[in-house]
Amino acid sequence: LYSQVEFADTSIIITEPYFNFSSIQESMTEILFEEYQFQSALRTNAGSLSAHHFFHTKPSELCCLVVDSGFSFTHIAPYCRSKKLKEGIRRINVGGKLLTNHLKEIISYRQLHVMDETYVINQVKEDVCYVSQHFYRDMDIAQLKGEDNTLLRDYVLPDFSTIKKGFCKPREEMVFSGKYKTSEQILRLANERFAVPEMLFHPSDIGIQEMGIPEAIVDSVQSLPEGFRERLEAELRSLVPAHLPVSVLLPANPVCYSWEGGKLLAHTPDYDEMVVTREDYEENGHLVCEDKFDI
Amino acid sequence: MVLEKKSSARVEAGQRRVLDEATRQRRLTRQLEALEKDNFQDDPLSSLPPPGPTARLPAFSESEEPEKKKRKTRGDHFKQRFRKNFTTLLEEENLSEKPEPNYLSAAAPPSSLPPRHFCCVCGFPSHYTCTTCGGRYCSSKCLITHRETRCLKWTL
Ligand SMILES: [Zn+2]
Ligand SMILES: [Zn+2]
Repeated sequence: LYSQVEFADTSIIITEPYFNFSSIQESMTEILFEEYQFQSALRTNAGSLSAHHFFHTKPSELCCLVVDSGFSFTHIAPYCRSKKLKEGIRRINVGGKLLTNHLKEIISYRQLHVMDETYVINQVKEDVCYVSQHFYRDMDIAQLKGEDNTLLRDYVLPDFSTIKKGFCKPREEMVFSGKYKTSEQILRLANERFAVPEMLFHPSDIGIQEMGIPEAIVDSVQSLPEGFRERLEAELRSLVPAHLPVSVLLPANPVCYSWEGGKLLAHTPDYDEMVVTREDYEENGHLVCEDKFDI
Repeated sequence: MVLEKKSSARVEAGQRRVLDEATRQRRLTRQLEALEKDNFQDDPLSSLPPPGPTARLPAFSESEEPEKKKRKTRGDHFKQRFRKNFTTLLEEENLSEKPEPNYLSAAAPPSSLPPRHFCCVCGFPSHYTCTTCGGRYCSSKCLITHRETRCLKWTL
């Protein structure tokens, strides 16, 4: 695909984490303009693109708060229209990478050594893990013996010859007492399924002394300047039924939501004003990027 | 950083060895560092030879141009720069001096909710604490497993 793109005629939108180090920002700009020779570039945060997407599809909304859970961390970021409210940004050092590593660790300790099987265990995570709605109730169910344990899953690991991709044994084929007669390698998972994603809500469960997502949202909103919180609350009140204090939107396709936002942004009339061109950069260096990009 | 004396790590308490607070903390730090490790891995399927008769790959001649003394490109320059690790970069930013919101100030503060405890063997809620290492366990069965596997064997 890359070979079909002429970088010198192309503008690129590239995302970085909130509060990316300035040394990394500078290197990023250098790579884009000097190595790849892009015609122009817009460096931004993925959450800003999501916010743009949201405001674009819901023009009556004035404020939103983006929860962006990624590979290395989870960010809470409030936006008021196109303005990012930096004092309200919170970072929780829990992301997909940590969840996969933790799942790898507990499976390796409890049943089968999989420390070198990141790819497979990441797939296990995506296939069987879920966020519990009743944590302690699920803990009770996961502890039950035999067929009463409705949360139990037997995951058949791929051997990359006959089984190309792992999968959960269908319920009717599960053997609850005794061993399987087949030679497949099987992981038996119960509390792992929801205890792993739980770290997003309670990082302290594994010793990370940080707030989980709901607490961090409250902390973020409380830190915002005078008036914002009241405004946000008032707007939410008028938008949702009284018994619902908050509205939470999960995009149909969250993985692509910010990318779609970037696509929308690239088609706005102001786009040319937002970017830094290579010409600009060659003339003025990093300063022009510092002025224009708000990372 | 103050170096702890390793010999003080295990304090005698009656007959049983007990890990001191500093060792417990080191153990936790090491566990959390392991969880932070990069873990990218390619699809194992993509590295397997394609099915069917093995296609013969063109053999690239290695003697055409000796690549030993390659011109130092900007790429090398970047590699040099990126050799710094995260902690170094963080220190260089000098963030604790800065008044405006930044990477350090954005860190989520500790939770104000009470801590929850889980058995370090089976992962279910636990009510007991191992007197030796401070790990949690839920039953005598799990305590036996814990003693046999990790309890004192995980020390640095
Ligand atoms: Zn247990
Ligand atoms: Zn112990």
